[in-house]
Amino acid sequence: MPIFKPGLVHTPVTPFKVDQSIDYDTYAKLVEFHLRNGADALAVQMPAGEDMSLKDDEQGKLLEFALKQVKGRVPVIAHISDAGTDIAVARAQHAEKAGASAIVSHPPYFWHPKASMVAEHLVRIGAATRLPFFVCSPPVEDVGTPLTTEITLEVLDRVPTLAGAIDASMDFVFMVEVLSLGRAKRPEFQLLPGTDYMVPAGVIGAMGAFSPLSAVAPKLVRKVYDLCVKQQFTQARKEQEDIAELSHRLKMAGLAGLKGALRVLGRDCGQPRPPARALGEVEYGKLAEDLRAMSFLRAEPGGWEK
Amino acid sequence: MSIALKGVMQAPVTPLKDDGSFDPDGFAKMVDFHVRHGAPAIAWPHHKAESLNLTIAERKLGAEVAVKTVAKRVPVSIFVGTLAEEDSLEIARHAQKIGADLILAISPYCRRPSQEEIFDSVVRIGTHTDLPILTYNSPWRNGEGVEFTGDLTRRLIDRLPNYIGMKDASFHSEKFMEISRVALKMRPGFAIIMGVEHLLASYPLGACGSFSSSGAIAPNLCNKYFAALVANDWDTARQCQYKISRLWRLFKEQYPSSLKGAMIMMGRPVGPTRPPLPTATKERIDFLRKQLEELNILQTEPHGW
Repeated sequence: MPIFKPGLVHTPVTPFKVDQSIDYDTYAKLVEFHLRNGADALAVQMPAGEDMSLKDDEQGKLLEFALKQVKGRVPVIAHISDAGTDIAVARAQHAEKAGASAIVSHPPYFWHPKASMVAEHLVRIGAATRLPFFVCSPPVEDVGTPLTTEITLEVLDRVPTLAGAIDASMDFVFMVEVLSLGRAKRPEFQLLPGTDYMVPAGVIGAMGAFSPLSAVAPKLVRKVYDLCVKQQFTQARKEQEDIAELSHRLKMAGLAGLKGALRVLGRDCGQPRPPARALGEVEYGKLAEDLRAMSFLRAEPGGWEK
Repeated sequence: MSIALKGVMQAPVTPLKDDGSFDPDGFAKMVDFHVRHGAPAIAWPHHKAESLNLTIAERKLGAEVAVKTVAKRVPVSIFVGTLAEEDSLEIARHAQKIGADLILAISPYCRRPSQEEIFDSVVRIGTHTDLPILTYNSPWRNGEGVEFTGDLTRRLIDRLPNYIGMKDASFHSEKFMEISRVALKMRPGFAIIMGVEHLLASYPLGACGSFSSSGAIAPNLCNKYFAALVANDWDTARQCQYKISRLWRLFKEQYPSSLKGAMIMMGRPVGPTRPPLPTATKERIDFLRKQLEELNILQTEPHGW
């Protein structure tokens, strides 16, 4: 079986209308925007796409819509995480049937089972389909069980389709250990950063990246990614610092920050769904002012066109 | 106030006699070993040196031995972290008096301090001495650490002209860059020094070196690692980092007991580890011997002093 290497993966937000329903028309525009602006693959309903705020049937429908819109132009990766193993397994099986190219899962949400049970959860998901499977470490501050090196190695031993780990923890120690020990077991094992901090992961040996900021600054993201592919890590420092500045500012406002930035750039995808807080007009005004002061954003596309 | 800090800097362990007392002669050998094997700076007594298990008198004596043994060949940094801030001030005063080159501070210790408490304490220590000062960023989640945000770093650089750098043990892309973006812009020579050689991920982004964990076992590997980083030879640097990380996995359990056990096995008698930490057992040392052989460390690194 050929090795699935996703490359630069854009992780679209999920647009919502004022009544909180999914805005499929805008989602179609967003998918096209990502494809025109450097996506080698899409990963749908990742945390940037507010997966936890989507109902089960919405997740399935959104994936089907994305696949139909993409029409095979790039691979579509389905994020299928849930608290319950059976729910996640069913979602993975649906993703395979619908035509996804790969699946990705965090450890179970909310629960803190023993490490062996976390591994079992992930093994059952991985074994439920024939698709390439990626496990994903959650950001350290998230609620849930962390993905450890030991858990990943156990899943690697038991799931032949495990293609790699996506790191959103940004933890140097985890990244080095999981990649070096994972490759010792399976040379094609991959590490991909799950955030836009691509230089630290790239120099450790990551291949590919999942980019939550790709809808906001696709050119900047692509530039850092390309420099990392060429192993020009030192040369990527300035652009990586720009990404860090943007990321730091948006994080102050949570999911609403990401969507607020899209609105500033003329790609309005609405507000996040409750319980995530929406930005008030004063907060939005301050965000817009701060983003306009970031001169590197002037090179990015305005509106939906390239 | 200009001190060139770069490379894999060595933080010696504290040799103890069989009865657990401080061994100044053994410590002098330890320090000299590091300098002869290419250490670009000596930093003592970090956690690896059982700092909190040493009396203040022992810490002063050790600092004197370090400064005298190094004899200006490389910079000497004295760690002033203590539970009581008054002790930190006393050690900082002593460090200046005996001719140390800089101090490393973490304060307030073990208290889950607020950013204001950290600012106030570091300013008290930093204004208590003319020596350059490094701070120790250790955002550990169990409460014994001290976290420096980008904003706190900015305020301290503004306030302290002798604030020249930070030991960063966040090991975290975002936290590292929050500090590096601010500090290196305000003070371009600001030295960001990583803990225990987790340097690969941050070197291209402005980190200048690390405080070593494995240098007491594998100084040749440490030197090769940093040379590869300087040359931007990422493949070699990556292989060195992977090997050093495997060493860290061996040594991190009950740190520094296993490290001291491995040093003894390599002909560098550094004695027991003080309670409440355990001393490495014979079985543990045998296990380490096998692991170090497998990693080709025993065959390629110096034995004895």
